Amino acid sequence: MEKPFILHMLTTAKNLSPFDVNMALDAGWVSALPYTNVEASEVQGLVQDAIFSRSTKNLKRTGIFIGGRDTKQAMDMLKLAKRSMVPPFEVSVFADPSGAFTTAAGMVAAVEHELITKFNTTLAGKNILALGGTGPVGQAAAVISAQAGANVRIIGRQLEKAQLIADMCSNEFGDGKITIAAGADADKAEYIKTADVVFATGAAGIELLSAALIASAPQLKVAADVNAVPPAGIAGVDAFHNGTPIDGSSSGAVGIGALAIGNIKYQAQNRLLKKMISSEKPVYLHFEHAFEVARDYIKSNI
Amino acid sequence: MEKRSILHMLDPMPNNSPFDINMAMDAGFDVLMPYSNVKLDSVNRLTQDAIFSRSPAGVKRTGIFIGGRDLGLAIDMLDASKQAMVPPFEVSVFADPSGAFTTAAALVACVEKELKSKHGKELKDCNALVFGGTGPVGIATGIIASLAGADTALVDHLSIEAASDVAKDYNRRFGCSLKGACASSDADKIQLVANADIVFCVAKAGVQVLSSAVLKEAKQLKVAGDVNAVPPMGIEGIKRNDLGAPLIHALSSQGAVGVGALAVGNVKYQLQHEMLKLMLQTNKPLYLDFREAFIKARNLL
Repeated sequence: MEKPFILHMLTTAKNLSPFDVNMALDAGWVSALPYTNVEASEVQGLVQDAIFSRSTKNLKRTGIFIGGRDTKQAMDMLKLAKRSMVPPFEVSVFADPSGAFTTAAGMVAAVEHELITKFNTTLAGKNILALGGTGPVGQAAAVISAQAGANVRIIGRQLEKAQLIADMCSNEFGDGKITIAAGADADKAEYIKTADVVFATGAAGIELLSAALIASAPQLKVAADVNAVPPAGIAGVDAFHNGTPIDGSSSGAVGIGALAIGNIKYQAQNRLLKKMISSEKPVYLHFEHAFEVARDYIKSNI
Repeated sequence: MEKRSILHMLDPMPNNSPFDINMAMDAGFDVLMPYSNVKLDSVNRLTQDAIFSRSPAGVKRTGIFIGGRDLGLAIDMLDASKQAMVPPFEVSVFADPSGAFTTAAALVACVEKELKSKHGKELKDCNALVFGGTGPVGIATGIIASLAGADTALVDHLSIEAASDVAKDYNRRFGCSLKGACASSDADKIQLVANADIVFCVAKAGVQVLSSAVLKEAKQLKVAGDVNAVPPMGIEGIKRNDLGAPLIHALSSQGAVGVGALAVGNVKYQLQHEMLKLMLQTNKPLYLDFREAFIKARNLL
């Protein structure tokens, strides 16, 4: 008899996100079990309990999801989980803290699609500003686009904090192979003059880019906003925009709103959760893989 | 329509063990519900909430599992749950904190089998040492071995007082005759191992407890069992799949054999699986702990 699919869902937070639970069950996991307030030191014990209680055949029907709110914690836990495997006793692990990895992947893939179709270019060499970029989505989006060849600057209210986070993104998530810059929110009027792409990933309800700044951006091509709650993070980009020209942009920039990003995010998360089930070999999934499947989804839907 | 089977998984720890979750799903429970940070005084209420929300027919499709890391607490919770039943509103309860009861039962049963087949001895003829003896698996191993008649010592790696306190505590509870011992250096280990017939190694995973240098000083070792599956093994020279393979480093002990973690794990796995399935099959509610686990482990072998 085939054993049921079990997803062990670890979070550093007090509760799982119901979003992730719904997504997991809809992707085909039969049972999704919560492990809350999990600390890094507990990961090895939990992983080894999970791998030593099923035959290697049924471990293919077992997975671990890592949620939480903090990207660094989640990536550290993913690495710890991978190191705790004792082949052939090994299961797939997928980290997506706050859904940030799949959200960022959805946003960057949508932006890339607009660059290709509307501007006949790619992410390579583009100047990107990640406004409100110190949070989980901003960090992951910065790393993904830098890995695709863009020059990324994380903008925060405090330059010092933005610099720390930019360095962490370059060194920890990018293995030192990328260099992400930092900038202060107060200086964004200067940075916008050379920006090709803007990500708005700040807290909901805060306008990060005004109409005046959009008008003063001579080479802006795409502006993406993950905020679905009015006021929009980017003036003139609403949640329904999907490659829609932004009013008042002198450079013909287009906007991508939260619902368009959310749709790709949903597809990416669904595909990764399914990949854990269908993969012959254990897979360790994070923002890079989220970007791959987000790109695949967009390609298959043109 | 037949109601779905539900296992309420009570755990005093902040989280359930993924091991128990996998096992319960694989034994056929349809729905698993974790209850974490459960205190002993909540067990009565949780049990009664579980029994009074289903008809007696539905109650048969309902079970309670008690996990955690503390063996004494798990037994107390099992007793509290049993006392909370109001027949015919009654469900089966299975305590297996950290899998300790089934692991210990499987380990002792495997070692007992090798003892009989390779050396013609019974547990009651033997001295046994339990390294890592103050952890849950160690204590359960010690109790089972002691109740089966082996002269058993729980060995702690830091303190003889800790080991002796644990031994006394569980002797009082279960009527066994455990002793405490301490081995913090190879010299201590050599002294202890010299006269042991049986060695159980249930210390932390990935830590070598008995090296070849210690093993070669054992004069009458017959069977050594190791539950550590993460390299390096707890006992040097034992392989994970060994089941009665010669213990190559025990040079002074004639015919000594080893039992490895996967051999024990295989029996433990079958045992826990059978016990969980039994909860779904039984017509009369069952209360299962390490004693039933050992009886069933012997039957499996």
